[in-house]
Amino acid sequence: MIKFSREDFRQLYLLILYDVRKIFRYKIFILMRVAWFTVQVGFFAYLITAVVGQRFGVQTTYYHFYLLGAYTSILFTITMFRGYEIAQEFEEGVIEYMLSLPIKRRILAIGRILGGSISSFILSLPMFLIVIILLGGFEPIAILSAALSAYLFSVGIVGLSISVVFLLKSGDVTDIAFGIMDSLLVRLSTVFYPAVILLSFLPYYYVGVSNPLSYLADFLRWIFYPSELGKYLIQDDPVKILFFLLGFSISLTSLATIFIERRVEGGGWK
Amino acid sequence: MEISLARSLFSLNLKSIYMIVNRDLNRFWKYRWWLAGLITMNLADLFIFAVLFNRIVNRELIPDYFLFMAPGITAIAAFASAFSIGREVGVEIRRGFTQYLLSLPISRLELAMGRILSGVVRGIIYETPFLILLLILIKIPSTIELVYILVASIFMTLTMSSLSIAISTSTRNFDMQATLRSFTYFILFFISNVFYPEKLIRVRFPGPLYYVASFNPISLTVSLYREIFGISQQYPYTPEYILVFLFLWAISTMALGGYFYIRNLES
Repeated sequence: MIKFSREDFRQLYLLILYDVRKIFRYKIFILMRVAWFTVQVGFFAYLITAVVGQRFGVQTTYYHFYLLGAYTSILFTITMFRGYEIAQEFEEGVIEYMLSLPIKRRILAIGRILGGSISSFILSLPMFLIVIILLGGFEPIAILSAALSAYLFSVGIVGLSISVVFLLKSGDVTDIAFGIMDSLLVRLSTVFYPAVILLSFLPYYYVGVSNPLSYLADFLRWIFYPSELGKYLIQDDPVKILFFLLGFSISLTSLATIFIERRVEGGGWK
Repeated sequence: MEISLARSLFSLNLKSIYMIVNRDLNRFWKYRWWLAGLITMNLADLFIFAVLFNRIVNRELIPDYFLFMAPGITAIAAFASAFSIGREVGVEIRRGFTQYLLSLPISRLELAMGRILSGVVRGIIYETPFLILLLILIKIPSTIELVYILVASIFMTLTMSSLSIAISTSTRNFDMQATLRSFTYFILFFISNVFYPEKLIRVRFPGPLYYVASFNPISLTVSLYREIFGISQQYPYTPEYILVFLFLWAISTMALGGYFYIRNLES
């Protein structure tokens, strides 16, 4: 059983604060993302819904389906950006500085994951609000459940991005790995189309059913539109979807912690 | 002023321009990580997104979404690689590399022309495999149609290259440059007819947004490709008109890009 002292919690708090404070550096980044997202949901989503027409339920069904997928994809992209930042911190020697501080490696890992996920979620909040406004009013419990599941997903993705950075240990290779992951994982998920469509190409389907984006997108769909979109879920039982997200977050957090505890020692970045 | 510009244009040293283009092309291959990401994205859009989305589209509107998207992805590929020259120009300004460029025995107009043409060469080279894919997947056009495709691609990449250079040299704030480039890229990407037919945009957004979406250089190029490859679109203008519109885009943005680039060199 791991025991945390009062000092550990204080250090954890400081590490989270370090990541959260960095949000204020990204004013232009946030504005740009919000502008992109507005175009994406106001123009692209509207027209692509018309392209689908009524092959996918009634006129608004696909629009609802896509909006929740679009939020999932933007949260994924914003959260993966943590990986770029950490790679940048390696280049600038910030990570080496942090390693020299009297902080346990495990606390450092957990602090960076929690800090990264909280700041990513905060950065995605304007987009979250846009989606909620476009979808119409909902019960506070539904909004809270959606926010919690999005945060859970964010924890797992920060763990994933940290693991990739520590595994590759190269700025250039990290860049391309993230670019490819972003391109492929968004398209090979249920962000744009339901799982049943992925089933028409088995290799795509296998990636889709093991893809965390599919699970968050479908869980959000179940929260907001259980009867309209419930039949398109990747798993019949939403509890299974929630357990997948939970398992994904815990396992990726553990993996990132192991990487920070073991791979960062005695080697450095390059 | 006009006489001086005309004299400058006539006295352009093509060898100097060639050297600049060649240098920029060599640098293009050095961005192999960026290129790998771009290739993955373009191929994923075509072979994953378009293939899967084809299963849920309204067939009356678009009979085959994969074929519909293929010319769009081809144009986007050329656009993105031509647009990359702006990022490099921006980095050069940030690092003060422009001082070195000024010390070369090359006139400023030649430098500006070289940089703009570098974007064109990058765009055309990167686009070629996608065009070959169109020829394999759809049909081999006639010689005149191939000429139309080439001319449209040149005009579009000229526009994109010039526009990205204009953006990168319009401000010295690097963050602002990157933001404006990304924003322009995104607007041209989404507010175009790459993903949806032109007639649908006209019905759903009949106001000024329709004109932005239909007359932007990406949409014009995609419309010409679709017309030539026989992918029904019912665009209201003939390929010849489209080429004229693209020519106007190319000329005006070249003047803008050239002006800002030279102004930046001299400041």
